[in-house]
Parts: sequence; structure tokens; C-alpha cells
Amino acid sequence: MTSIGTGYDLSTTTYSPDGRVFQIEYAQKAIENSGTAIGVSCKDGVVMAVEKVVVSKMLVPGTMRRAHLVDHHSGVVISGLISDGRQLATRARDECSSYKSVYDSPIPGHVLAERLANFAHVYTLYAYVRPFGCAALLGAHDDINGYQLYLVEPSGVSYRYFGAAVGKGKQAAKTALEKLDFKTLTCREAVKELAKIIVDVHDETKDKLYELEMCWVCEESKNKSQLVPQDLVDEARKAAEAAQDDDSDMDDDE
Amino acid sequence: MSGLRLTEGSRGLAASVAVEGAPLTRTQVPYVTGSSVLGMKCADGVVIACDTMASYGTLARFKSLSRMHQVSPNCILGVGGDYSDFQQLQTMVDAEMTAQYVANDGLTLSPKAIHSFLARHMYHRRCKVDPLWNTVIVAGFDKGEGVLSLVDLFGTAFSSDVLATGFGLHLGLPLLRNAHRPDITVAEAKGVLEDILKVLFYRDARTNDVVQLASVTAAGVEIGKMTKLKTEWGYKSFVEGARVGDDSSW
Amino acid sequence: MFRNQYDTDITTYSPQGRLHQVEYAMEAVKQGSASVGVRSKTHVVLATLKRFASELSGDQKKLFAIDDHVVIAISGLTADARVLSRYMRTETQHHKFMYDEPMPVGRLVLQVADKCQISTQRASKRPFGVGLLVAGVDENGPHLYQTCPSGNYFEYLAMAIGARSQSAKTYLERTYTTLAEAGVEELIQSAVTALRETVASSKDTELTTKNTAIAIVGTDGSGMRVLENAAVQPYIDALDAASPASDDEEEDGDGDNAAAAPAAAAPDAAAGEAAPAADAPAEGPADMQT
Repeated sequence: MTSIGTGYDLSTTTYSPDGRVFQIEYAQKAIENSGTAIGVSCKDGVVMAVEKVVVSKMLVPGTMRRAHLVDHHSGVVISGLISDGRQLATRARDECSSYKSVYDSPIPGHVLAERLANFAHVYTLYAYVRPFGCAALLGAHDDINGYQLYLVEPSGVSYRYFGAAVGKGKQAAKTALEKLDFKTLTCREAVKELAKIIVDVHDETKDKLYELEMCWVCEESKNKSQLVPQDLVDEARKAAEAAQDDDSDMDDDE
Repeated sequence: MSGLRLTEGSRGLAASVAVEGAPLTRTQVPYVTGSSVLGMKCADGVVIACDTMASYGTLARFKSLSRMHQVSPNCILGVGGDYSDFQQLQTMVDAEMTAQYVANDGLTLSPKAIHSFLARHMYHRRCKVDPLWNTVIVAGFDKGEGVLSLVDLFGTAFSSDVLATGFGLHLGLPLLRNAHRPDITVAEAKGVLEDILKVLFYRDARTNDVVQLASVTAAGVEIGKMTKLKTEWGYKSFVEGARVGDDSSW
Repeated sequence: MFRNQYDTDITTYSPQGRLHQVEYAMEAVKQGSASVGVRSKTHVVLATLKRFASELSGDQKKLFAIDDHVVIAISGLTADARVLSRYMRTETQHHKFMYDEPMPVGRLVLQVADKCQISTQRASKRPFGVGLLVAGVDENGPHLYQTCPSGNYFEYLAMAIGARSQSAKTYLERTYTTLAEAGVEELIQSAVTALRETVASSKDTELTTKNTAIAIVGTDGSGMRVLENAAVQPYIDALDAASPASDDEEEDGDGDNAAAAPAAAAPDAAAGEAAPAADAPAEGPADMQT
């Protein structure tokens, strides 16, 4: 059933006759217009990467953060509206600190994911707010559950993943992720794989300049959340771009 | 109506309990307390020292509790007074430092800022007549210089070359002042502080002989292990006690 | 005038996932006169064009001092800017009170942006109709930020916002790489030159000591200072000495509409908000906007 012009798609408090809430679907559209974000949960950690389209060459590198740390052991990467994403990150930080103050231990990934999803869900219930125009990839570590990757969506659902992708290039990215062996993949390798996927799904014709931002929680970072060191990211990106050039050269030859 | 009710109002007050009809009261005495902390600023850093006893009134309740808390790579606290309030302070400071960590913008709190932050909180609590019953010594190293500052339960805040809390305020401070020189080194100061802790152990019943020293230098924070002081009880006046007619003790 | 049924409510997404009300608030920024910011390794300079409501009135404020180390230039609704600047002043003072240190500029801007975001998600408030250029210094050196009604913020080496800011941006994009090493005077001059680009095609406006205001913040501990009136004269004189900008400015011809729309909307395209199409409002001093 078509949504546009029916009047059933103007508010989150309205169902369409066939039981859909179009405003939530439109919010998801906002994510699909945004830079691709991907994450993997692998052997020794969680790595997340995001493509940041650069709107001006006069921007200072590193601005327009899409990867946010929310506690010592967890971080989120945002696809969709950046400013909405910061609100989610702020909420995640509050949840981390309130859990810590009640239980004196870091919040487990699944608890944080659920609380964050609950938060997003509330914004789908009332006419005076709109759903979040962003999705959050959440990476976390705790001693019981190990490394965890979750995807929290504006509808208020969250699932745990080995590999997840959102944003513009999510279809192609998912296909590429499915080829990875998450049981043997190390984070060092994952950084390269993610860079490769982002470079591949990036649409050169639409957005010329982009930055690659990565965040991980892994053995190498002593189970702390941090941005992947810039030199590693640059190196991975350079390698990915070189590989892509080789491929296209081969295509030309054929 | 029941005799007990939770007070209304803002967060910090929610846990306060009042008896119906009676005025609202909060912490009026500390319970489990730590005594002295000593601190000295040196040419190459700062040294602080504490014993490790926590007393329940006059009972030597706990005898191996650390009263130091590392806040950042270049800042530590040495805390005297109520031990549970000290734990509350640690939680608060840690939460603040986590907020700094997740901001991830290359900035963190300097020792001076941490001191100010604590002072603001202590004064705020004192104005609610619900103080955290502590004296906090902030030791840090920043921009090539040692930082040594103090905050007490009233929110009084200041910096000095030598600082002491608890009984050390009376017995330790004069000794610290005598020993301090602008060019004193961290290594030297550690010896001085250990000697003063010894004096405190001899004279202060709320102090034990297991002590901890920590330094903050350009190399960062170094919190030492708890060590037992070597004490000497054979002094004549210790053995014989006070002479008859002498007003002093021994 | 109504483009579609999805553009009257802040809490309604269009089927494309866009927020038209937020995009319209972004347009309000372009109604205000231009503000320009440039940054070197040691200083940040803001240059602004002041409008006059009438011949008999004083000018409307473009620069707001926030703290000793932070100053903002605004384009859009002045009244909204005053709300934000008061908030920023409170926050910097609070930070100073709490930590006994000046507030890092990035942290301040982040808070402002978060505040702006809130009113893009609730029906009870309209988004702020003002864009800010925030100039400040902190431990990490000088910073120039831009904030938007959408709640986005960006750190720039050089940037212009407001009416016909595209001309200034074009100029800055050609020259910004040379600014890192520039001295203060050179930096001020390039800010003023960029600002002049926004009036270069206009027949009845030119930069004068009356309508130009400049703010400078440096890492040398001298704090923030504002140049107005006679103090601006040397920089305007220097403009006249150089060749008129309109000579080499191809896209100035038809006013700001064609040039400003795509680029000024660009920042939000990054956040998944596509650029609004034509209907850029007609140029002209509106009383509410500076």
C-alpha cells in the first residue's frame, strides 16, 4: 500500500490500515541517505567503521564525529543524522554511569543495547516527538559476555550481530561482511577488511571527499573503547584504495 | 502518618530520613575515620603519605585500608576523615573522569581543575549542611610543576608547599615546615614524610604503623606498597614514663 | 507557497526521510547578513556585516562576547542568537566556577549544538533560526566552529555564513591554505576581503566603518578584542587599494539565490538531510535578522 498522500504517514501515532507506522519507516530513510557504518564482532574484539562525507575542504580533519565513546569499555558509531546520534550517545553515557553507580560494575553490552533501544522506542510513541533519524552500532566488552556488537534502530529494536551494516551502502556492505570468518578474524585484520568494504561501497560520483572513522574495543586496546589510531586507519584505507585501483585497472584491461 | 518519611526535593536529598515533627538532620559525626595525610611539594614533584588505619571511634577497626586514590595519570588524592564519604568521593571523581574520557577530545582535567572541582562539591555539600566529612589533599604534577592543594569538609580550599590533615595538622605540620626546602627532592621528601609518620604513630592513637607513600612527578603517579614502619620503643621516656610533678605526658 | 504536506511539523519526516522544518530553519540563517571566520595557527578572526533597520536606527548586533576567550558571530534571527549567547555565557562561567579554568571551545560548541538538536525533535519548540560562527582559543590552540539550527556543528579552518556567503566561501576556498601561517593583520585583512565578497555585487551596499565589525581571539593570552568604527578603517582602505573583487567573481552576477542554495545546504546533506531545492528567499534586510 502506498503511503504518500493518504494522511496515514504524518505522525508516529497513526497506523496505516494495514498496520504500519510510516513515520518510523521514514526515519529509517534518513539513515539510508547517510554515510555507511559497519561493524564486526570478531575473535579478539569489536571494530566499527563509518564513512563520513566531508562537506567542505575547509573542514578541520576529524570534525563531525560519528564515533562516540560512551564508557571505558563501550562505544557507539552513528549512521544517520549526526545531531540525533549525539543525543543517543549522551543517553548511552548516562545509562553507563547510572548502571555503574547502582551496581559498581560496567554495564554489560546487552543491557546497554536494551536500554538504548527502549530510549529510542519512546520516541516512536508520541505525536509531540519524532523518532530518531539515526541508528547506532554499539560495541562493548564485559568479563562475562566478552565482546558484543549490537545495532540499535530508531524503531526501538536492537539485535546482536557478528557483522552489521547500516546507511547508504548497507546492501553491498552486508554481502561483503557475509564473506568474513568472524571466528578467526582478528581486529587488526578487521580494520583492513572494514576499510576495504567502506572504500568499495563509497559512491565516488555522489560524494567525492570522505573521511574514514573507526572505533574499537579489543585486546589490543586493553578492552577499552577508543578510536582506532589514525595511522592504522590511514594505512588500511590506502591499502584498500590501492587494491581498488588494481581491480579497476584489470577491468580496463579485459 | 508514619514516623519516618523520605524527604522530597532534589536528588542528593532523597535519601535523607527525617523524624516527623523533628528538624531534618544529616551527617553530624563521622563514623569510620582515617587520620593523617601528609604532603610536601618538591623541586621535581610532590610526595604524599598516609597511614592505613581506619578507626571506628577509638576502635582500631581496619588496619590496611588505602586512603589514596589515583584520579588521572598525573593526579592523586590522599584523604582523611570519614571513610565512606571518601568512597563516595572516589565514585564521584571517577564518574567525572569517565565523562572526560568519553569526550575523547584530547582534553582532561588538570590537577588544579580537579582541586577546584572537589572544592566546589565540598562547599556545595556544606551549604546543604550535609558535608562529606573529609579533608582531601590533591597532589599532582602539571606543566613541569608540582601541585599540592587541600579541600576540607567546609569547602575551604588552598594550596601550600606543605600540607597535613588530621592529627598530622598538629604534630606533623611544624615538622614538615622545618624540613621543607624549595630544592628538596622527591626521594629526600619520602624519607622526611616517613619520619613524620613515625612520630604520628608514636603519638596519635588513631594512627597505625603500616604506611603508604606516593609521589607524582614528570614520570607520573607512583603509589607505593603498604610498608611497616621500623619503630623503636626503647627510648628512656617511653619506658619510664612521666616524672612525678611533670605536667607533660612522656 | 506550501510545497507539500510534510513541511509544517517539526516531528514529521518526509517520505524521503527529510525534516523540512529543520531545513527551513537553516534557510533563516541565510536571511541574515554575512559573517566570516578565518583561523591561523595562533589566531581566529571574525568579520561581520551589520545591517541597519532604518537610516535612523543603530545597527543590529552581530558579535557577542561569550568569555575572555570566546566570541561568536551570528547570522539569522538575532533574538534566537541572544538566547544561545546567554546560554553560552552561563556555561562558560559555570565551567570556570567549577574547574577554575576557561572552558574548552569544542565542549562549549558541543553543548550548544545539543541544545539546538533538542528543538528539532519536539513539537513544542521551533528550531533555533540562527547559525553561529564560534571563535575561541583553548589548550589545543585556536578554533573556529560553525553551528546550525539542525544541531550540527563543524570545525573549520575558514568559513562564512549568512546572505551571499557563498561568494565569501569561494574566496576562502582559494586562499585558506595560506592562512595557517598568516600574521594577525594578514588574517584580519583576509577576513574583511572575504566579507567584502558578500557585498561585491550589491549596488547599494559596500563595506564601511559603520557596517563592519571584527573580532579577534589569539593564543597569546591577550584575550578577545573587537574592532569597530574607526578601528576598521585601515582594513577597508586596504581593500580599496587592492583590485575590486567583482572583477574576478563570476558567480556574483545574479545575487545569492543560485550560488547560495546548494552550498549553504551542504553541511546538512552530510547528516542525511538533503538540500532544499530552490525557494531561497528574496534578499533584503528583514528587521528580525542580522
